[in-house]
Amino acid sequence: MNIETVAVIGAGVMGSGIAAQVANAGKKVLLLDRVPEGASNKNILAESAIEKLLKVKPAALMHKRNAKKIQPGNLEDNLADLAEADWIIEVIIERLDLKQALYKKIEAVRKPNCIVSSNTSTLPLADLTAGLSAEFNDHFVITHFFNPPRYMRLLEIVEGPTTNPEALDTLIQFCDFALGKGIVKCNDTPGFIANRIGAYWMQTALLEAFRLGLSVEEADAISGRPMGIPKTGVFGLMDLVGIDIMPHVLKSMVHSLPKTDAFHQQAKIPELVTKMIEDGYTGRKGKGGFYRINKAHGTKVKESINLATGEYAGSQKPALASLQGPVVKDLKKLLSFDDKGGQFAWSVLAKTLCYSASLVPEIGDDINAIDRAMKLGYNWTYGPFELIDKIGVDWFIAKLKADNYPIPPLLMTAAEKTFYRYDNQQHQCLSLNGDYQTISREKGVLLLSDIKQNQTPIERNASASLWGIGDGVLCLEFHSKMNAIDPNILQMIATAIKSIPGQCKGLVLYNEADNYSVGANVGLALFAANVAAWPQIEAMVKSGQDTYLALKHAPFPVVGAPSGMALGGGCESLLHCDAIQAHAESYIGLVEVGVGLIPAWGGCKELLTRWTNNPRRAKGPMPAISKAFELISTATVSTSATEAKDYLFLSATDGITMNRERLLFDAKNKVLALAEAYTPPEPVELSLPGATARTALNLAVDSFVKSGKATNYDGVIADQLAIVLSGAETDMAERHTEQDILALERTAFIHLLKKEPTLDRLQHMLESGKPLRN
Amino acid sequence: MAIFKAPIDDIKYLSNEFLDKSALQQIEEFSSVTPDLTDAIYEEAAKISETLLFPLNRSGDEQGCTLNNGVVTTPDGFKDAYVQVTEAGWGNLTCAQDFGGQGLPHYIANAVEEMIISSNMSFSIYIGLTIGAYNAIERFGSEQLKKAYLPHMVSGRWSGTMCLTEPQCGTDLGLIRSKAIPQEDGSYRISGSKIFISAGEQDLSENIIHLVLARTPDAPAGIKGISLFLVPKINSHEDGSLAEPNGVICSAIEHKMGIKASATCAMEFENSNGYLIGELNKGMKAMFIMMNSARIHVGIQGLAVAHAAYCGAVDYAKERLQGRALTGAKQPDTPADPLIVHPDVRRMLLTMKAYTEGARALSMWLSFQLDVSYQANDPTVKQNASELVSLLTPVFKAFLTDIGEIVTSTGIQVYGGHGYIRENGMEQYLRDARICQIYEGTNGVQALDLVGRKLTEHMGRNLRHFFHPVSEFLQQHQHDAALAGFILPLAKSFSRLQNATLFIAQKGLSNPDEAGAAASDYLRLFGLVAMAYMWAKIAHNIHYKKGQMPDEFYDGKLITGLFYMQRLLPQTGALLSAIMSGSQTTMSLKENQF
Repeated sequence: MNIETVAVIGAGVMGSGIAAQVANAGKKVLLLDRVPEGASNKNILAESAIEKLLKVKPAALMHKRNAKKIQPGNLEDNLADLAEADWIIEVIIERLDLKQALYKKIEAVRKPNCIVSSNTSTLPLADLTAGLSAEFNDHFVITHFFNPPRYMRLLEIVEGPTTNPEALDTLIQFCDFALGKGIVKCNDTPGFIANRIGAYWMQTALLEAFRLGLSVEEADAISGRPMGIPKTGVFGLMDLVGIDIMPHVLKSMVHSLPKTDAFHQQAKIPELVTKMIEDGYTGRKGKGGFYRINKAHGTKVKESINLATGEYAGSQKPALASLQGPVVKDLKKLLSFDDKGGQFAWSVLAKTLCYSASLVPEIGDDINAIDRAMKLGYNWTYGPFELIDKIGVDWFIAKLKADNYPIPPLLMTAAEKTFYRYDNQQHQCLSLNGDYQTISREKGVLLLSDIKQNQTPIERNASASLWGIGDGVLCLEFHSKMNAIDPNILQMIATAIKSIPGQCKGLVLYNEADNYSVGANVGLALFAANVAAWPQIEAMVKSGQDTYLALKHAPFPVVGAPSGMALGGGCESLLHCDAIQAHAESYIGLVEVGVGLIPAWGGCKELLTRWTNNPRRAKGPMPAISKAFELISTATVSTSATEAKDYLFLSATDGITMNRERLLFDAKNKVLALAEAYTPPEPVELSLPGATARTALNLAVDSFVKSGKATNYDGVIADQLAIVLSGAETDMAERHTEQDILALERTAFIHLLKKEPTLDRLQHMLESGKPLRN
Repeated sequence: MAIFKAPIDDIKYLSNEFLDKSALQQIEEFSSVTPDLTDAIYEEAAKISETLLFPLNRSGDEQGCTLNNGVVTTPDGFKDAYVQVTEAGWGNLTCAQDFGGQGLPHYIANAVEEMIISSNMSFSIYIGLTIGAYNAIERFGSEQLKKAYLPHMVSGRWSGTMCLTEPQCGTDLGLIRSKAIPQEDGSYRISGSKIFISAGEQDLSENIIHLVLARTPDAPAGIKGISLFLVPKINSHEDGSLAEPNGVICSAIEHKMGIKASATCAMEFENSNGYLIGELNKGMKAMFIMMNSARIHVGIQGLAVAHAAYCGAVDYAKERLQGRALTGAKQPDTPADPLIVHPDVRRMLLTMKAYTEGARALSMWLSFQLDVSYQANDPTVKQNASELVSLLTPVFKAFLTDIGEIVTSTGIQVYGGHGYIRENGMEQYLRDARICQIYEGTNGVQALDLVGRKLTEHMGRNLRHFFHPVSEFLQQHQHDAALAGFILPLAKSFSRLQNATLFIAQKGLSNPDEAGAAASDYLRLFGLVAMAYMWAKIAHNIHYKKGQMPDEFYDGKLITGLFYMQRLLPQTGALLSAIMSGSQTTMSLKENQF
């Protein structure tokens, strides 16, 4: 069975978010909710939920038109429509009686084999399905999504004692491939895996910060980068998820966990936090939280709350001795460092890791699944058992003993061992009996991180590596800071171009960082501009152009496989590929104008070519030029891979992979498909209209400048862009080669880089990470 | 005995003709300063240097300072000279008029300062430190402190010091131990030991105002827990009359290589009253801001002593008769020709002259940029000047004090054996100049400041204020045949500096040792190029805007400048090679192989 139609019941934030993700997968979805008392429009709840979906930030829909895939309805009129659904997911209020009543109604209309699931996080599965038919029971599971469903990758699934394996498999395949989720099967225990450990950890960190007298900044600096759980730090995370959520989570945990569970010791809510919630300081969605932005004096000042007094004051860079270089970079040193920072780190980590270990096998017997849940659901850099391996099992046990902590049995099982190991190129993890079992990847999952454990790179420099990923395909991985494209990466591309022909079939540009590439390393360009090294800068630009052009015309297929941001020079690398296989969450754009520049590694040329060759464009050269001009001059970035197709950053035939973990596999297959009878693209020639087009483009910009929507300097940049896209001093009779347009890009780039406002924009971006409007 | 003559012509030329003062034309304090006025100031300063201070230079060196029961006695004549100099106001040219100063621009005051240092470096230290302390109090002190202390310091009745160094910490001030205990009235009690305190104790002024770095009991560890305090030697009443001593004791004075007439003291503070300057725990911030002017001051010391050595050497080379010119006798009626006929002696003299005059141009130009950074109306102009000064300060300090060493040592060489003996005074210059490479941050520390902080700050924006004007200057004059002798070498050395800068920026990012190993060579390269820029601007100025000086002066300038371009600037090639070789050899030798 395939899942083609999905029904979501409950149009709240979670329900509508799940519906949106189903729509993002290209499937039809029915969104139903109750009819509010006295409502004239019976669909009001679902309809307004869809309206909200179109506005919410970050966007729930990958494309506005996906909203049309969501059919709103209500539980009075549309109950019968549920018969169409292959999967019905219930996302209503956490009340057993209401859920049971709903299931009775569903049971009456659902078609045979239709899977039904609940998004509950507090009610036991056995209670939910009590009294329902065996067929219903066999097709019922809990599917626990995280908020927001589009972006949070974890999906916890709890099966019942009689769940039909085929139905379960159908559901898992759908959630994995179509919804892109990382699935972790859980036991039916309170909070499942992620929230059980996550809530315990957050509470522990909160209470320990209060107990040890740490400031908010200090606690976040310790829990953030050094421990990596997560990078925002604990208070930053609570501000993000909403401080008012915590009491609800705690209440439900305290209610359902046995009194012996260690959770109870960490379930207090400090008075200050209660007061913050009462006063509306619920985090980013409220007036602020542990941090707030104070705009009272005309400027934005980041402030933090004083945990002792409840007063806000300007955030300070923490100065604890434990945060100094050698300590903070070495987790073991940090955990044994004798100041309140070190004590906090140790206390939080010791308690959290012991608690995690004590929950096996209660919440699940697969430690890898537990680590995976924490990484996917709470954005931890390492799962709890990976963290223990990082500091060493025996070191951890010895320190726990020294501090009189009880040692969980699982930890004793691991004594003198590690939780994970590589044995004969097999990645293995410890099982409860002390043996190791091999961690197998799903079919169609290919991870560079796995390959990297077992292989040495074919080539490597400080910013990029070249890996063999099997079947004669190579993968070029960026690993510079923020994956900014620098001379080392260009050099690695050149190396790939030299070494692949005759040896290998093709190349994938892919990496597993949060962002594919944030752009060229403009720090180098800015520095060179500051020392007026114009010839060197021109050479840098030229070398980027030459490299990308060589990549485009290389005698083997190249597939770009982005995930996350692919901006500026990163986007340009994709535009030179034969094809793209993009992760659905790809944010692609030519954003150079934000730093006062224009794309000059062939970005203008390639985007113009794509729009010129677009079969659906109107006649004449102007529509293509206008479109490229609009996209580049407004630094348009796609909010998804789907949207990138609208802008031709992706072409119609490029592929989209929903599940991040399946991206490399799909990209590799694309290379192999292209490699059959591959011929490189022919050099492009364009006819461009010259000065008249430039004038026309500038006219449009002028009105933006006059109305204040663009600055004067935006106009200066746009004019340089207009010169490049219009072909400068030319007319339609002349044919522009790729080299001609590249020369125009270079000239405009250097012209802008010599200007003070461009240098100011560059500096501001590099220092603050935000664009400067000057 | 070496003679001394103040460089009055060069100073007048630089001040009146060379310096482009347009950036501050709108500021009244500047437009009202006419060449007539400045010439009068320069001439008077030259006179006092030549006739009052220079005669005390060698006697002061011979006699030195003495310490008896905590009392320091300066050499004969110093007390009298101190009274004359301070009463004439030579110490307070830049001080605010509100406090009795003269409110003159730095470019003028620094030229005067050069002459005073040049004639007697030890003496100048007593004056210079008061200005340093004045600046810190004026900039960061409370109104109350300013009112109580500054007028007396400006008049010279009271003097000032900077108390940073302790036995366990010199460069690394984070290790400071001196304690400041807060009192109920908001003041502090300071206790601790300080060493190497110039003018810490003396018999010239009636009171001494010490600026002391110390930490309060609950201050954070390291550099972020240091505060700056004002601690008078003698407490005073509200009317400025002196009260009881404040527990500040000089326990020893150092026996030094040079500047022997300047008392370098070990100071004990015993529960002394102290008053916070600026914010608590932000003492280093105040110190960092003060360092620009203090380091420029030390750079000028290097220049000044170099000039003194040049005066002596030129005089000797013209007078001393030894051997015949290689091309035949130049003075057949004397038993031998003067030394100055010999190419190698001329090489030495021209090296001294080219470095010294180049340094003076740099000093005048940078001092004016300092004025712009304080006074300009346009905030962007002000900011840019401030960043330029911040970039060039370590270059100026280290390069000019290295020149001080090179030139004073060459001065001895010109004298031969007569330079090595004491009675001619040439060896004193080398001994005096040597400290300038060490104090106020050793030249190695300057180089690290340059590559580690000034280069990288604001993503390299500081560099823009130097590199862009030079690049534009080169572009404007690249085809100017009249200036070719200056433009081509400048262009070549400038591109070497650009390449070295990019190399260090790139390498230093991944490995700080690379930047560290290249730092001193890089600073020297930077200094040589900055000086070449000055010489090229001088050539341009003389070629297109010849002024009031005699032709002989202009010709001499151009020849000296060409000598610099042809004979000294080519070092930049060697420095670039050294820098580009990387840190490998520097860092790979194991400690036990040394």
